[in-house]
Amino acid sequence: MAELIGSLLIALIVTSIGCGHALAAGSINAVGVENEYADVISQIGGRYVQVTAIETDPNTDPHTFEVSPKVASQIAGAGLIVKNGIGYDAWVDKIIAATPAANRKVIDVQNLLRLPNSTPNPHLWYAPNTMPTVAKAVAADFAALDPAHASYFQANAAKFDASLKPWLAAIASFKARYNGTPVAVTEPVADYMIQAVGCNIRTPFSLQAAIMNGTDPAPQDVTTQNDLFAGREVKAFLYNQQVTDTLTNSFLDLAKKNDVPVVGVYETMPTGYHYQSWMAVEVEALRKAVADKVSTEKLSSGEQ
Amino acid sequence: MRSLLSLIFEPGFFTSAPVHTAMIVGGGAAVVSGVVGVFTVIRGQSFAGHALADVSSAGGSASFLLGINPLLGFLGMAVIAAGGMELAGARLARERDLVTGIMLGAGLGLAALFLYFDVTTSSTTGAAITVMFGSMFSIPASIIPLALAVGVAALAVSGLLYRPLLLASLSPELAAVQGIHVRMIGLLHLLVLAFAVALAAMTVGAILSSALLIGPAAIAIRLTKRPGLAIAASVLAGLVATWGGIILAYDSFYWTPGHGWPVSFFIVSLIFVLYLAATAVRGHAGTEAAV
Repeated sequence: MAELIGSLLIALIVTSIGCGHALAAGSINAVGVENEYADVISQIGGRYVQVTAIETDPNTDPHTFEVSPKVASQIAGAGLIVKNGIGYDAWVDKIIAATPAANRKVIDVQNLLRLPNSTPNPHLWYAPNTMPTVAKAVAADFAALDPAHASYFQANAAKFDASLKPWLAAIASFKARYNGTPVAVTEPVADYMIQAVGCNIRTPFSLQAAIMNGTDPAPQDVTTQNDLFAGREVKAFLYNQQVTDTLTNSFLDLAKKNDVPVVGVYETMPTGYHYQSWMAVEVEALRKAVADKVSTEKLSSGEQ
Repeated sequence: MRSLLSLIFEPGFFTSAPVHTAMIVGGGAAVVSGVVGVFTVIRGQSFAGHALADVSSAGGSASFLLGINPLLGFLGMAVIAAGGMELAGARLARERDLVTGIMLGAGLGLAALFLYFDVTTSSTTGAAITVMFGSMFSIPASIIPLALAVGVAALAVSGLLYRPLLLASLSPELAAVQGIHVRMIGLLHLLVLAFAVALAAMTVGAILSSALLIGPAAIAIRLTKRPGLAIAASVLAGLVATWGGIILAYDSFYWTPGHGWPVSFFIVSLIFVLYLAATAVRGHAGTEAAV
């Protein structure tokens, strides 16, 4: 936690030193409610934008986020807000509605991707097509807010798209080689990516939803999941390090007992990563689990 | 017969690990609550029982923060609250409800703080629902030995207390004349009550645990005035409601959309239905006697 605040402070200080002249006049304040969106915003906005991330702690469950007055004022004062939607950050809508501002731009990723409210899995940033669309929308909004630097923002968006290529290539090569690999999960955080790489998620979705929402799991589903490990029917267990309870712990123990490799996945971008490097590391961890039976339970602080 | 059984017990019921744990821990909680509940109702301490349960939720919430066995959390806080109530009990009797209510509020306030710390400092998904309303099918099997130990201890103390507690509950003056230390008996009963409440909170949650504590006892006392029989009936009603609730929750997987309804709902509903039935039976018997 202290480490996280420290690195955030450093990031803020570095940003303000690096773009001192831009901050003085015409700089845009932007908020990424989840830090993976904030990371993409700052890659697009570069030196003309000051970005704040709200949900930044990879050790807590973002589904149970508590709003503080400071967070409310950060959102109220932002020129651009990017939020996930699908109920993941519904509290932001209330703050936006309570603090009307004429020129404020809000990108709701759910609406951007034209997804219905009934979409069962809210973790949109794991889907490979999400961030390119977000980057384009962010660049367009920045261009509207600061037309003088429109081409700079567009160039950054193109650069961002290009930087996703290694991750997309890793997904394609995994799929070519291991398509249909059966895996188990705790809750749906990484499901979009798991589906993109062609794995077959054997955990019942009703169990994933119960774990995500913290409700009573059906014993039938628990038995199904236990059998996946006991019968070694899955090649990897993708474990959400941020949504944990006694039940997920019991699955973790069972997976280890039966030599099912564990891959730690996260809701919130872990410290020291950019969006691209984080996603690439997750696919690589899954590949190591399936190909070499090697667990990557937690992501160590990555290199920038 | 066989088809009837398979109609009641959907496939996999008897081999399911979460069902095993729920049956054992829930059954233990029902037996202890059934015994302790009868004395609690006779002594007019239903509100104290509910307050103990609410205060214990602070312990349950803290257990997530400390990473300890949640039963220990519930138990620790319930015992502290029982001690506090006994101290308060020394004052005017009519003040007792007020002091109990104040403690209940303070306990729930602490629970709110601990739950806030839970969600803001660590990953404790579903802590609030688990602490308040129970999550029987996610109780880890490792809790069984401690739960059984707490249950056996509560039953043993209840057995030792049986005669003096009954006398002290029905007629404190007579008990005092016979040389029974009424206040000590009262304190020991509060401790046993704390044990029962902690076990029940572990299964149906802190808020609902008083339903398991006083519901079966109230049903039993509707049906019989003999203390021994009432205790037996109360235990039976508690077991029927708890195990019946587990069966219904398991089966509801097949007839509810999604993945079944919470077991706590079924247990408390069965208690309510049994209470209505007991009231009807007694009303009927009363009419017959009058005729």
